[in-house]
Amino acid sequence: MRIMMIVKATKDSEAGVMPSEKLMSEMQKYHEELQKAGVLLDASGLKPSSKGWRVKYSGAKRTVVDGPFAEANELIAGYTIIQVKSREEAMEWARRFPNPSIDGKEAEIEVRQFFELEDFAPGEAVERFREMETGKKK
Amino acid sequence: MRFMIIVKASKDSEAGVMPDEKLLAAMGKFNEELVKAGVMLAGEGLHPSSKGARVRFSGAKRTVIDGPFAETKELVAGFWIWQVKSKEEAIEWVKRCPNPMREDSEIEIRQVFEAEDFGAEFTPELREQEERLRAQIAAKKKR
Repeated sequence: MRIMMIVKATKDSEAGVMPSEKLMSEMQKYHEELQKAGVLLDASGLKPSSKGWRVKYSGAKRTVVDGPFAEANELIAGYTIIQVKSREEAMEWARRFPNPSIDGKEAEIEVRQFFELEDFAPGEAVERFREMETGKKK
Repeated sequence: MRFMIIVKASKDSEAGVMPDEKLLAAMGKFNEELVKAGVMLAGEGLHPSSKGARVRFSGAKRTVIDGPFAETKELVAGFWIWQVKSKEEAIEWVKRCPNPMREDSEIEIRQVFEAEDFGAEFTPELREQEERLRAQIAAKKKR
């Protein structure tokens, strides 16, 4: 199963404060361990929401809203994607995640499982997704 | 430059209602266009937060909280990672994205940090390690 560990934003990350060399180094060490265990699929950081925007859909209507967005604790600052055998294995890795906050105080990560194509009822659209993914993963 | 296109959750997605064939087909068509244009790096859906968890950090302390989580509209239901030449190109693609839910919904577009954004704190040693990691991941994906 594939798992996304979502790093929630903080006041610092939204203000554009960059991580210290110490935090960068801790993060790198942790990701090296993930890599050595053969579970790391991807990891990246996102720029503050002030550089982003939202599109709101209401039926066929679309409205564009420019960032920044207010609810800092619910925004995403980064993510790490891993491939593991069980939820327990995912939680073990999640517990070892370094405290991602820039000031070393409060932070939160959210652990969520990916849908796989087998989770969808079979059909033409799902088959086309499968063809698109052939060779993309693993 | 890379962008993350975040599909926000809805009442349906959090309740585990799966997309119908019509929506799957519309998304499939959009995805095929992204792949053909060489824009799509990843695209995935996430199970409802009832199957997820959170880890809260306070200094060195960690607390695990099991889902589901209440603030539906702030949760993530899925995402794409796109590689484009400009913000304008990303905007053009977003305009063509089908409404990802049957209800009112929202997507959020965010730019991904690249190594050069980190400045001096990202030392040559750390950069080298990062490049090695990325190369290993890329090699693993190709296998």
